[in-house]
Amino acid sequence: MEILRVEHLSKTYGAGEARVDALQDVSFTLQKGEFTAVVGESGSGKSTLLNCIGGLDTPMSGKVWLDGQDLFSMKENQRTVFRRQNIGFVFQSFHLVAELNVEQNIIFPLLLDHQNPDPRQVEEILEVLGLADRRHHLPGQLSGGQQQRVAIGRALIMRPMLVLADEPTGNLDSGNSQDVMDLLMKASRYYQQTILMIAHNEHLTTGVDRVLRVRDGRLTDLGGVRA
Amino acid sequence: MRGNRTHREKMRGGKRGRYGMKSYLDLVRISAKIRRKQSRMTRLCIVLAVFLVAAIFSMADMEIQSQIYQVIQSNGSWHAAFQGIDGQQEKLIRARAEAENAASYTMVSDGTEGDYLIEGTSAAVMGMDENLTEMMPAVRFQEGGFPDSADEAAVTESVRGQLGLEIGDTVHLTSSAGEELSLTVAGVLEDDSVMGGENAFGLLINSKAVDKYFSNTVESGDVTLLVQFHRFCNIQKTLDDICGELGIDPALVGTNARLLALQFQSNDSGITGLYSVAAVLAVLVTVAGVLMISSSMNSSVARRTQFFGMMRCLGADQRQVRRLVRSEALNWCRTAIPIGLGMSVLVVWALCAMLRAISPTYFNGLPVFGVSWPGLAAGVLVGLVTVLLAARSPAKRAAKVSPLTAVSENAGSARQVRGAVHTRLFHIETALGIHHAAGSRKNFLLMAGSFAFSIILFLSFSPAVDFMNHAIKPLRPSAPDLSVVSQDNTCSIPRELAEELRDNPVIKKVYGRSFACAVPARAGGEEIQIDLVSYEENQFRWAEDAAAQGSLADAEAGKGVMAVKMNAAREFSVGEEIEIDFTSGTKTVNVSGVLNESVFHVSDGSTVLICSEELFRELTGQTDYTVIDVQFQRGVTDRDVEKIRALAGDSFTVEDNREDNSEVRGAYYSFALFLYGFLAVITLISVFNIINSISMSVSARIQQYGAMRAIGMSSSQLLRMIAAEAVTYVVWGMIAGCAAGLLLNWKIFGLLVTDRWGDPWYVPVSAIAVILAVMTAAAVAAVKIPARQIREMSVADTISAM
Repeated sequence: MEILRVEHLSKTYGAGEARVDALQDVSFTLQKGEFTAVVGESGSGKSTLLNCIGGLDTPMSGKVWLDGQDLFSMKENQRTVFRRQNIGFVFQSFHLVAELNVEQNIIFPLLLDHQNPDPRQVEEILEVLGLADRRHHLPGQLSGGQQQRVAIGRALIMRPMLVLADEPTGNLDSGNSQDVMDLLMKASRYYQQTILMIAHNEHLTTGVDRVLRVRDGRLTDLGGVRA
Repeated sequence: MRGNRTHREKMRGGKRGRYGMKSYLDLVRISAKIRRKQSRMTRLCIVLAVFLVAAIFSMADMEIQSQIYQVIQSNGSWHAAFQGIDGQQEKLIRARAEAENAASYTMVSDGTEGDYLIEGTSAAVMGMDENLTEMMPAVRFQEGGFPDSADEAAVTESVRGQLGLEIGDTVHLTSSAGEELSLTVAGVLEDDSVMGGENAFGLLINSKAVDKYFSNTVESGDVTLLVQFHRFCNIQKTLDDICGELGIDPALVGTNARLLALQFQSNDSGITGLYSVAAVLAVLVTVAGVLMISSSMNSSVARRTQFFGMMRCLGADQRQVRRLVRSEALNWCRTAIPIGLGMSVLVVWALCAMLRAISPTYFNGLPVFGVSWPGLAAGVLVGLVTVLLAARSPAKRAAKVSPLTAVSENAGSARQVRGAVHTRLFHIETALGIHHAAGSRKNFLLMAGSFAFSIILFLSFSPAVDFMNHAIKPLRPSAPDLSVVSQDNTCSIPRELAEELRDNPVIKKVYGRSFACAVPARAGGEEIQIDLVSYEENQFRWAEDAAAQGSLADAEAGKGVMAVKMNAAREFSVGEEIEIDFTSGTKTVNVSGVLNESVFHVSDGSTVLICSEELFRELTGQTDYTVIDVQFQRGVTDRDVEKIRALAGDSFTVEDNREDNSEVRGAYYSFALFLYGFLAVITLISVFNIINSISMSVSARIQQYGAMRAIGMSSSQLLRMIAAEAVTYVVWGMIAGCAAGLLLNWKIFGLLVTDRWGDPWYVPVSAIAVILAVMTAAAVAAVKIPARQIREMSVADTISAM
């Protein structure tokens, strides 16, 4: 089942000599439950691609459909609500709310959407994340790996169509990086969660369903690499 | 105990949900607990704004209430007095819905023309409705009460004292036509109430007695209807309506002008000018508060752009981010407003206590532990409005943070910069500092604007000092503590008395004056009457400030006289000759100079000439004094004064002015204290605002500074960079503040001073110097504090600090 369709996406920064073609005619689709990694050199355009798919940045041309809905035909406010309900984000530097504990950080998107958290669902996510015994800890009391796990929980709590992860292991050591990757993998399998992840390291693509390479704004589908 | 706590926790959990949060706005409450330190400065800004507004309004309210009390005690609570109206008009006025109370009084005789006599002494006779006593607290009965029947009367204390009358006795009133009216004494009025002063004979009767015994002699012009209107009706409009509808000449309608002014019902241009000045100052205080809090909140928002970016990424829409920032601000109000109000109450209590102690009579009406609810309400209202207004700009700014900020470290800051730094004129660190200040136009306007407002506020308040100097006269250096005065205005006080007084150790100064009153004279062919008065050396010294033309020294040396300009019937020029007809013969004197005023009171239409004691003696042959004034050393006792009274004897009137002088001195000092106190608070706010704003600005860029240190910027370079930023804000703030502040100073000075006393506006150099010096000092302190903090931080910590 197709979840994401990207068609002829282009994005340019600057003009004249300073013009940078960050994305050039990028098209691809993602199926439900697919775990896809985007790799590429620094400045190749992979973050721009992620931002455009997440509706954070507006492309010059092209379309992005998520679950059949054209992201850029929506008004800004509609897109925000759509993002809130259908896209989960995992950032390189976690961006947890320092004042909220693990549980509160995880349920925060639900509160933004005026929903009451389902305790069973929260419990389940905490179990999956392995953070049940740390539920009342503040982010400052957690390791980097644990903080990123909380961020993954926050991204999953809304059961979004798509999780976008921007170098989720970029700030972690190898041990914690592997933990996070295992967790993302688990989420992909356990929840049939579609994930699009930017990977700074090609080693991290081991086990993903598919790898896309971005070079000079152009996308190449490297196909499946799952062992 | 344990069980109770668990129960409470459950209850709390129930209210806020299983996770301690039921809404994303609960983040505000949770965050406030943890980030108390970060929000301390902003909360302090709110406390200060609320404190300032609540204290100003409370003191103004207390002062107004105290003044209203005093006016009602002395003048009564009536608003309008209708004179010469007929019975029908009176009925219609009384029946109006706006009239809360109405009562009439009839002046049967004012006691000056001898129409009525009590035991041979001229008596004032007044008739009134009983309910007039409700509107005139000054009608005080020492004994008995208001005469109920037409055959009863109340007499003044002096009547009882001199005639030995008691309640129930009969007082006989004889008309000039010889008719006698006997009335039973029902009450005794205090002498200083409404029926004339000490020693005056007064008789108060009720309106029925007026109708019964004086209906033939009383004319419509003798009857006055006093009306007290409902508190919230528009009295000026009501009066216009009454005059228009009933055909009453507005000239015959008097008003209790002070009460109307104090109840904000006056249409007097001077009073409305005062209202508008108060309104302008209140608005200025609010705007200063808005700018102060806003700049503080903006810095806080600037520091948290990534947080707001993350919020937007997670799906918070712009409205939710705005609500979050506004809720944060309102959450600070929960503690900051009560603290500000509490501080204002304490300060108001202290100020009231001080004012009452310094000047008991003048500030007698001020309560001991009074709370001004309108003042506190103003504090709460202005506090909330200020915070909500102040939060608007930061809330918008936060809402506009792009979600990209969360995924890109540079996205937020890159958008704020409009152009590259100009390094041609300055070193890189100075250029960067200036660029930091001016880089974001909005931030620059807010920061420089908030500094400018401090100056505007200071310069707007400063004309109040000039107003005070006119409205409350400081005690003159010549004011005597005690005066020995001739009863018949002649030179009858022996000079030896002055000599004896000079030897008294409790006396600091003794200065006498001799008077020759209403002496016929001629000047320029015009027949006039002059009052010749002698001065001794002290009075000549004090007169120096009042010298308008000519030579005071010549007059002191006996070579001429000084003409007093104030209240004079005729103006003299220097060199003019005056022929004065003394009993000993006609003598000619030269006008050697002109004085604007004299050290003693001059009644209107007098022509007063001042001369030396020698010249006075030469002209009149008189050597003794008409008045001897005395100023005491500190610590003089009532016993000392009694001894002086005994020394003066019974032939002269001895006036003890010590209490009055202390009142005047107290009123002046207390008002000055009040005004300068608020100027000091404004100055403190300026200092606080500058230090806080610069500190916030530095905190917002602390990572950048850390990075600069990491790439080799020295501490002194960093200091110069922060200094350049601060100087940019402060200098522009000073320029804008002085320009707008001077304009407002000129306008407010015109309304408060020029329109009333005619003094021309002047550039308030000292006020400008004070505020600019304070702001410069604050800017220096503002730079040193964060620079020291950064120097003491490790580079690694600075880079990672958030």
